[in-house]
Amino acid sequence: MQVTVSTSPHLKSNIKTAIIMRQVMIALIPVVIAAVVFFKYRAIWLMLNCVLSAVISEKIILRIRAKSTSTKDGSAALSGLLLALILPPSIEWYAATLGSVFAIVVAKQLFGGLGSNIFNPALIGRAFLMAAYPKMLTTFVEPFAVDTVSGATPLALQKFSHITTSSVKLFWGNVPGSLGETCAIAIIIGGVYLLIKKIADWRIPLSLLVTTTCITIVFHWYKPQSGSILFHFLSGGLLLGAFFMATDPVTTPVTKSGRYIFGVGCGILMMIIRYFSGLPEGMMYSILFMNSLTPLINRYTRPKRFGT
Amino acid sequence: MISVAEHKKPQYRLASEKFFTPRKLYLALSQHTGKPSRPCVKAGDMVPEAAILAERDGLISSHLHAPSSGKVLAIEEWYHPTLKRAPSIILECTPEPKIYTPRNGVEKFNKKELLDIIAASGIVGLGGAAFPTHVKLAPPEAVDTLIINGCECEPYLTTDCRLMVEQLEQICRGAEIISRIIEPKKVIFTLEDNKPEAIKKMQHMLRTRTNALPSAKLVVLRTAYPQGGEKQLIYATLKRKVPPGKLPFNVGCLVQNVATCFALYETIYLNKPLIERLVTFAGDALNTPKNIWIKIGTTLKELFDQKVLFFKEEPQKIICGGPMMGISLNHLDYPILKGAGGFLFLRSTHSDEESACIRCARCVDACPMNLLPLEYAKRVKHDDYTTLEELNIKDCIECGACAHECPAKIPLVQYIKIGKKYASNS
Repeated sequence: MQVTVSTSPHLKSNIKTAIIMRQVMIALIPVVIAAVVFFKYRAIWLMLNCVLSAVISEKIILRIRAKSTSTKDGSAALSGLLLALILPPSIEWYAATLGSVFAIVVAKQLFGGLGSNIFNPALIGRAFLMAAYPKMLTTFVEPFAVDTVSGATPLALQKFSHITTSSVKLFWGNVPGSLGETCAIAIIIGGVYLLIKKIADWRIPLSLLVTTTCITIVFHWYKPQSGSILFHFLSGGLLLGAFFMATDPVTTPVTKSGRYIFGVGCGILMMIIRYFSGLPEGMMYSILFMNSLTPLINRYTRPKRFGT
Repeated sequence: MISVAEHKKPQYRLASEKFFTPRKLYLALSQHTGKPSRPCVKAGDMVPEAAILAERDGLISSHLHAPSSGKVLAIEEWYHPTLKRAPSIILECTPEPKIYTPRNGVEKFNKKELLDIIAASGIVGLGGAAFPTHVKLAPPEAVDTLIINGCECEPYLTTDCRLMVEQLEQICRGAEIISRIIEPKKVIFTLEDNKPEAIKKMQHMLRTRTNALPSAKLVVLRTAYPQGGEKQLIYATLKRKVPPGKLPFNVGCLVQNVATCFALYETIYLNKPLIERLVTFAGDALNTPKNIWIKIGTTLKELFDQKVLFFKEEPQKIICGGPMMGISLNHLDYPILKGAGGFLFLRSTHSDEESACIRCARCVDACPMNLLPLEYAKRVKHDDYTTLEELNIKDCIECGACAHECPAKIPLVQYIKIGKKYASNS
């Protein structure tokens, strides 16, 4: 009789890394549909471009690093998809490819691959493009437009021209903006799915959204032209960031109290950028900044062991 | 705490059977936590059933009795689930069933007399830890609450469940004995809500037997793993936290398993030492699972040879104990020890390849001791043992909840075991 001998436990749950990645992709389906509805073929090409370049570059790097791990876990494809969703639909194809490759090669694999990266790869990809092609990254198109009709995002309109976009439009997503960031309802559906399926922890999105809401309440009362609560809640990258970027397990704290700190930190930083900086939007930088603080947060929020 | 697949069907409904005709018994001198017992027979001796084969050596140790009459063949090394090999008394059985005569005047025995009987009976905790019961029943501090543990949170195992359904009266009498010894203010029977039949019987018993255990009550807990662990159970029932390095009596509690209560009943009332126990045999490689009363020292092989158990298919894994904390065995020559509540024969090995940690913290959320399992694994993988103690690795109870939940299939318990070993050496 040939038997296997191993350490306990001999019973394991069915959850696998690949399943988690797949669940996040399922949660992104409403967002992807919204993107295709609003930005048509541009959306399809951009997503295909980013996903394929991410997967191919990951395959090549894994080959070079002689790693036995494969791209089957879907993490590279997910990073590529997330990057596509935070880029302007009108971005040139080579820029998107470059951003996707940078995200995988530099932000992920150079740090040691899946699980070892400090920063969210998709956000690093966008930050890189922001530095490399600032014009392209700040030019947005109107949804449903056949030709390139550029339009300002609601946040830019609010900040630079004091024109407030209606919350109804923001809710349905019929506004210029990044590919997957415009349709609030789609993001909320996907986000709630993630929380119900327990793929993402609720602590970060909750604390992040509560923080931004509290800050906007104070500012709106103090200075009404800074934008209403609902406006800030529904516009820009806040929702997509809160549900899909700030919940990336690899780059966020592992402790429960640490997750609250992470969410609150992201919220405060983002509102500071929205209100006081030269940029209309700050989700990307605030999450990246909090990513860099994650090891520190983990260290100082270690749970007290049972019984003490 | 986590929820795990229970796998208790269908054996939780299967009435217990008996297997009392082994040919040979292999009785390890280390049946319990503490010092091995000292043999007081030699090869060639003929012994009657229930005779003492080995005596308690020191306080934390336990007597070993002959589960069957027979001839001592040898005292030599034999397979042992945890120690691999250990000195054992090998007994060739010549069945002469002994009839136990009930003890008279049990009601009048005082504490010391009861404790002396228990110390002479070889009873150890039957929930798995096998800590000598006579030591546990003499706590150095006053205990106000006695918790009778019927949780049986390990999947597959159903011995406590069956025992509560079949022998509740006896368990209750065992609990009375304990409460006479330690005089608690409250007696709490605890069960998980996945044992409706046992809960019903227990409720009925507590309604009808109010005079014997007047302060007893039943607490039904929501099924969770590892709720049957002492510290977890005390917290779940009383919200008292046993500090690290302390024992239940430090917070005024004493926890006893239902099977131990039953053994106490047999010893006090029937004058029968601990020589057999109820064991669950389950797993998808078996034809039918069974709950069987077995003499201590019976080997697994004998159960298959004598057609008590059948394989449906070759097992890929043999486990002594439950699937969460049990030890995997490499053949069938291992004997049944006092602390073994079950043996599993599984077709699948559940050995998925380990992949990279994605820091999802499911292990952190699962840990009943509030530890950071992923940090231990990371450090042990990099041979960094310096900070493990600082991260309280010693508090880990190795319940396996973290590794059960891990999506990367990292054998966290294995890393923690290695970590504990080197953390103590450095």
